[in-house]
Amino acid sequence: MKVDRRTVLKGTAAVAAASIMGMPAIVRAQSKKWVFAGSSPLTGPFAQAGTTALKDLLDWVEMTNDMGGIAGRPVELIHEDSGYVPTNSLANFKKAMSADEKPIFYSGDSTGFMKLVAPELTRTPVLCGGTSFASDLANPATNPYQYIAGPTYQAMFDILLKHVKDNGGSTVAFVYSDTEFGRDPIEHGRAAAAALGLKVVHEEITKAAGAEVQTHVAQLRRANPDFVILHGYVTGVWPEIIGTARAFKMETKFLGTFWGMEKVIADGVTAKAGPILDGYAGVLPYRYFYEAKDSASYSKFFAFKKQKYGDQFPGYVVTWSLQPMFSHELAKNAIEATVKADKEVNAANLIAALAAIKDWDSGGYMGQPVTVVNHSVPQGRVYSYNAENKLFLPVSDWIVT
Amino acid sequence: MLIGNYKASYAADESIFGSWPMRYGFAAMVVVLAVLPFAANSFIVFLAVQVAIYTVAITGLNILTGYTGLISLGHGALVGVGAYATAIFGNWLGVPFWVVIPMAVVTTAVIGLGFGLPSLRIRGLYLTIATLAASFIIIFVIEHWKSVTNGDSGITLAPASVFGIDLVSDAQKYALIVPIAVLAVLFAQNLFRTRVGRAFIAIRDSDYSAEIIGVGLTRYKLLAFALGSAYAGLAGSLWAYNFLALLPTQFELQLSIVFLAALVVGGSARTLGPVFGAIFVILIPEFLKWVFGFLTPFSPTIVEYTAPANTIAYGLLIIVFMIFEPMGLAAIWTRFWRYLNLWPFSP
Repeated sequence: MKVDRRTVLKGTAAVAAASIMGMPAIVRAQSKKWVFAGSSPLTGPFAQAGTTALKDLLDWVEMTNDMGGIAGRPVELIHEDSGYVPTNSLANFKKAMSADEKPIFYSGDSTGFMKLVAPELTRTPVLCGGTSFASDLANPATNPYQYIAGPTYQAMFDILLKHVKDNGGSTVAFVYSDTEFGRDPIEHGRAAAAALGLKVVHEEITKAAGAEVQTHVAQLRRANPDFVILHGYVTGVWPEIIGTARAFKMETKFLGTFWGMEKVIADGVTAKAGPILDGYAGVLPYRYFYEAKDSASYSKFFAFKKQKYGDQFPGYVVTWSLQPMFSHELAKNAIEATVKADKEVNAANLIAALAAIKDWDSGGYMGQPVTVVNHSVPQGRVYSYNAENKLFLPVSDWIVT
Repeated sequence: MLIGNYKASYAADESIFGSWPMRYGFAAMVVVLAVLPFAANSFIVFLAVQVAIYTVAITGLNILTGYTGLISLGHGALVGVGAYATAIFGNWLGVPFWVVIPMAVVTTAVIGLGFGLPSLRIRGLYLTIATLAASFIIIFVIEHWKSVTNGDSGITLAPASVFGIDLVSDAQKYALIVPIAVLAVLFAQNLFRTRVGRAFIAIRDSDYSAEIIGVGLTRYKLLAFALGSAYAGLAGSLWAYNFLALLPTQFELQLSIVFLAALVVGGSARTLGPVFGAIFVILIPEFLKWVFGFLTPFSPTIVEYTAPANTIAYGLLIIVFMIFEPMGLAAIWTRFWRYLNLWPFSP
């Protein structure tokens, strides 16, 4: 066969056409990469959680791309600091949405941002996840493009109050930060406690950071509840409250919600102050990384980290990182489903695909198959900290609310 | 050829744009502002709108602090009052924005007047602390008066509408907000050519002396609070129509401190000070992000270091300006135009 310039060109064109025809038609017409954008608190009060989570998220993106991307296309992550100021996050969002290559997914970093961005999303729709578990967001009618990568704070309170009831408690106190994050589930918590026959004997409102815990604990001691639920904190205040209560010889059991359930913080407190957090329990929507290291999702990430960092990788991924990673996994799932259905990858189709997730095996993130209800995943489990082996261990089954 | 700043008539002395560079400079600025929404992308327009809103708010603070000498740490909360008043009146009454905005301005002025009452008995640091308390009280009320403000969940409002067109895009909001901001700045400039404005300045320089020459301290101090708060209310109203969603946390103490810092950096007791201050606090962080963004290709995780470096650089810039130009950016601007006006005989 004679091989001339014309034959080579024809052959190349045929191969290119065949490769392209292998993809669904609508994807061929769209961008060659998926742009994900987001902002997180790399400075400010939650910088420790924000910087750690960002590093892991960048690794998650790299791993995803190494494994062929999403529906055959690589992911590009554009990221900015918000300082945990909602208006800064909104400015970051506007910048991302005015870029030549608009993101198909945006990850926000606070309840405040998720509320501020809601009117913007009606004009420039984009699939929008984030770190917030705010109860208001689990409402497709008012927040059609936003979702929560886990249960709402109200659902977390439901799980904790059930735990209180199951463990013989009759009185409970709520201690929460003076933020929208802290106050979110309180009203619901009062009603849920009453429905379970539990008495809320005291409520204490503190600063989100740098609170004068002695006076708060003195009030708690007078109320002397069986259980105390701490909510609205990330790295600080909650350990100091428990430590002070133990110093006051209080027998009360302490419970927490997702952002107050990090092993690294508990280990740090134990190293400095002894086993004061022993028995502290709380609700977590995800499995701890050590608990499910052999699961499909975690094992892949473990192998990637080991290969990239060698012995520098301690073998543990913090819960602050699992949350955004799972949020991105949900977005990934929605993109794959949309592409598979040969639909245009836009906000409306993505949120529809996400809302349709039913009995999905998350590969280890969650203990029960994932079903999205009202743009949230209402399941969780109660874990308790063991100061001796420095692990949070499960003390309940997975609870779907 | 001009060789000095001579004023040959009272009209020249009172003129807002007294020299040709100022006249042409203002005309050029109007042209740039008119062209901007057509030439820039929506993010730049969004930033311009924010600069306009901050300019209005800081101009109010300038009236109170810069010209009258009454330092306020409650100004951010008063912007919140204006914003919430806009959302509440708009949602309750369903009236158009041009009715809602004056209502919000008057409401904020009245509330600001109330918080200005301590200024009749105390001044200096004590008054600052009193205004700080006002900030906490306002935010507390917004957070806990849930039946009206919707508490922590925040409140949303319908966009401003002109001839049935909802102003929802950044360019549309720009068309509403920026002209109002320009008029607000011009009004402030004129204010200090009147008896009222000069009374404010007299009180700032020495309230005892002002009283001796016939300036009623009660009247003018309260008027300064009312006017400063009215500007805060206007800024809040524009803020509400810009964001269309409000949260109490947006108006906490940090916002008041940002306004105060912007006024100092921009130039206190100068009409253009708030404009420069607003540009500084809105655009410099974005500029620094852009500068540090060039490092990202070298390492994706470098943002972990560049984000705090950005904050440190921003803080250092404020310190540098305070050391080398304590009169603020507006003073540099004034010197520049004066130099240009007298060239080639500039000193």
